[in-house]
Amino acid sequence: MKKRLFMAVLAMMVVATGCGGGKKGSSDAGGATDTSTTVAGTPQPVRGGTLVVAIGSDPGSLNPAVTSSGVVHPASEMMFNGLVGWGPDGKIAPELATKWSIEDNGATYRFTLRDGVKWHDGQPFTSDDVKFTFEKALLPFHSRTKASMGSAGLTLDAPDPLTIVFHFPQPYAPLLQQLNVTEAPIIPKHVYESCADISTVAGCPANKTPIGTGPFKLDSYSINEIRMSRNPDYFRAGEPYLDGLVERVIPDPETQVLALENKEVDWLGSVPGPDIARITKNSALDTAPAPRGSGGGNCIMTAIFNMKPPAGRTPFFTDLRVRQAVWAAVNRQQAFQNVLFGQGKVADAPIHSGIVFAHATGLSLPTFDPARAATLLDSAGWKQESKGATRVARGVPNVPDGTEFKIDWHGFSGDQTTYGEQLRAQLKDVGIDVTVKTEDNATLATNVFTKRDFDLSAASYCNGDDPEIGVRRQYDSKQIGSTAFSNGAGYSNPQVDTLLDQGAREADPAKRAPIYRQIQEIAVHDLPYIWLAETVSLRAFNANCSGFNQENTGLFAEAAFCKK
Amino acid sequence: MTWRYVVRRLLQVLPAVASILVVTFAIVHAAPGDPVVAVAGENGDKAYYDFMRAKFGLDRPLPAQFLTYSTDVLRGDLGVSYVQGERVSTLIAERVPATLLLMGTALVASTLGGIVLGALAARRPFGPFDLTVSTVALIGYALPVFWMAQLAMLTIAFRTGWFPIQGMTTARATYAGLAHWADVGRHLALPALVLAASEIALVTRIARTGILTEMRQDYVRVAESKGLSASGALVHHALRNALLPIVTVVGSRIGFLFSGAVLVETVFGWPGLGRLVLSAAQTRDHPVLLGMVLLVAFSLVLSNLLTDLLYARVDPRIRYR
Repeated sequence: MKKRLFMAVLAMMVVATGCGGGKKGSSDAGGATDTSTTVAGTPQPVRGGTLVVAIGSDPGSLNPAVTSSGVVHPASEMMFNGLVGWGPDGKIAPELATKWSIEDNGATYRFTLRDGVKWHDGQPFTSDDVKFTFEKALLPFHSRTKASMGSAGLTLDAPDPLTIVFHFPQPYAPLLQQLNVTEAPIIPKHVYESCADISTVAGCPANKTPIGTGPFKLDSYSINEIRMSRNPDYFRAGEPYLDGLVERVIPDPETQVLALENKEVDWLGSVPGPDIARITKNSALDTAPAPRGSGGGNCIMTAIFNMKPPAGRTPFFTDLRVRQAVWAAVNRQQAFQNVLFGQGKVADAPIHSGIVFAHATGLSLPTFDPARAATLLDSAGWKQESKGATRVARGVPNVPDGTEFKIDWHGFSGDQTTYGEQLRAQLKDVGIDVTVKTEDNATLATNVFTKRDFDLSAASYCNGDDPEIGVRRQYDSKQIGSTAFSNGAGYSNPQVDTLLDQGAREADPAKRAPIYRQIQEIAVHDLPYIWLAETVSLRAFNANCSGFNQENTGLFAEAAFCKK
Repeated sequence: MTWRYVVRRLLQVLPAVASILVVTFAIVHAAPGDPVVAVAGENGDKAYYDFMRAKFGLDRPLPAQFLTYSTDVLRGDLGVSYVQGERVSTLIAERVPATLLLMGTALVASTLGGIVLGALAARRPFGPFDLTVSTVALIGYALPVFWMAQLAMLTIAFRTGWFPIQGMTTARATYAGLAHWADVGRHLALPALVLAASEIALVTRIARTGILTEMRQDYVRVAESKGLSASGALVHHALRNALLPIVTVVGSRIGFLFSGAVLVETVFGWPGLGRLVLSAAQTRDHPVLLGMVLLVAFSLVLSNLLTDLLYARVDPRIRYR
């Protein structure tokens, strides 16, 4: 279990923030969908039409099993299936597997596969395909699957064509959350087994002409768009309702919004903050909060204190009083309003409220209190020698006297940089001088997580659907400096390490809850991070279209339809 | 003869391209950010990073990596994109037509438009038309192209609905034949216009100045005294001689035009090389970045050569040996 390093999960997650707003179609998990039983007021499905979806980049490859790329996945998932998916109610629903049993206290999972499912080329789908997909594609190349199930020692067994068994050397709790089309899309063995290098298009031309079991089949793929048409043999009889689906590449987020308003596209996965007010007012468009952006589910916008700076860097945040002072100087509510325009909510615990069993309620996080911040900084040796001046060190351990409290903030462009600007203004009031640095993904990952060459950094920590998926990495002392977007604070507390291991070994959520509560209480005492806000991204779509399953992100249009 | 000149010029280019390659290789590898982290997104563990690093050959010493890369390039192999897994040559080839269409349209429009506007302005120097053209040209030249692109999109495309906002074709429909090209034309108009704007401004200024200078030459006065109208003298005599500086400027602007295309393509979602370069830079996709640098270096060299050869066409006094 030691090596289980769960990274952010791009998965579809159980949502706490709710799925109101958007209209939901039914996509009954069991099989044939009877849409006439949907909630009163929901429009009747209509067959036909084409849905145009905006995506951000040319994916290059359309094989989601050999990468966790946030570009390849949205472009290709609609042509594939997972063993399970997410129902519109946010619960795990059958997909390629119809039922399953959990044995050996969670160390063995036995799945019965759906009978009669056909690949887009007419070949039958069997357990051999599942075994092949995991062994040759997901475990070697899908970064999250490799880091989670791979490290946990997964082996597979296909005793008959419609049974697949997952074996782990010890209980493995989060498996069912990791078998949807985003985390574990199933690809056909007969198409991919002859590939010289399954992970690239150059070594596997089939990656550009995918064959799946999904609701849509590939018509054509050009650098500008991916055109798909209805899979008439889809295992959910009657679905999909749309005749066609076009994924259109539009790199600029602002242009995506304009294209939606101009009716050139019908669906947008995420609306930039400044456009939200305008989009929600537009009666030709509908919106629905999505629990996740492109980086994963149940995300918390977080400020990271560097508690373990490299040699030669001033250790501003090793003293708890300084971290408490920054907490007291930051008005999280105001920053939230100014940056996120009210989308989501101010975080009230280290673990996202979307992981219902693990989220602790009633914690007392430090409140906004600039006077207390000043007192704490004074007591830590950071003195403000004249009004409005930047504080300087006077007797701070390991800091030369006279060092100014000048720190940097690292963040991506967009919300993270805007948050940096808010914090710069707020911290200036207590005599801390912040420089905001905007960096791209690769640069920030190196500066903050590998070199630890920063003072404060933004990060959107996506907790995923289980603390093991996206919470452990943030607090586990073994995850300092090893990988990107892990324990950025450099936080190390042996008690927390022990508790995290306990929580991972325990399968029963009721028994895990007190363990995670204790972890959060310790984290709130130690304050390695500022949990700024639980973020949601807002989806926007043509109001003529409905029937989207907002939970099952990868197959959101499986049962969608548009009024003529 | 001219051919010997062309071959010699091309040979001279090789050391230049080689040093560009070395410098770019060094810069790309010195830039902060790890392609493996970019490929893994916000996920993966150390085992995954190590595995991918070995797969891409990034675990080897830099000189060894360079040696492998340059040998491959000499064999005509630009490698495989880290992110897209596709051959770099294929990625580039797929996108060249769209960019050529955009740049070509902008180049032709700006050159012809600039010459016509410049000639019209030169007819009555400091007249109302000249002053208007000069002012507008100055503004057009001063505006950053990405800003103008967004402005054009917001005002012209979005408000009037005359032009689509993004892409090269209509997503909802599949046209064929003439209807397809009409559709492409409608999508092309705005990005090409924006890209051409600053070039039009430049060419207009140069053409106006060139023509005015030539119009004061004795041979023009002779032509006029022989009874040729002012416009006739301008079109038949002055314009041809004024072309030389225009050819120089247009030829030397190909590089700028390309950098403008990167921005315009991004704003308008035009599926060309510009978008490829941008995403490759963001994801530290070294093979794609290096391949693009090589391509741009070669095209610049070629366009300079073409410019020189055009000189000889425009001005018969120029001979290359």
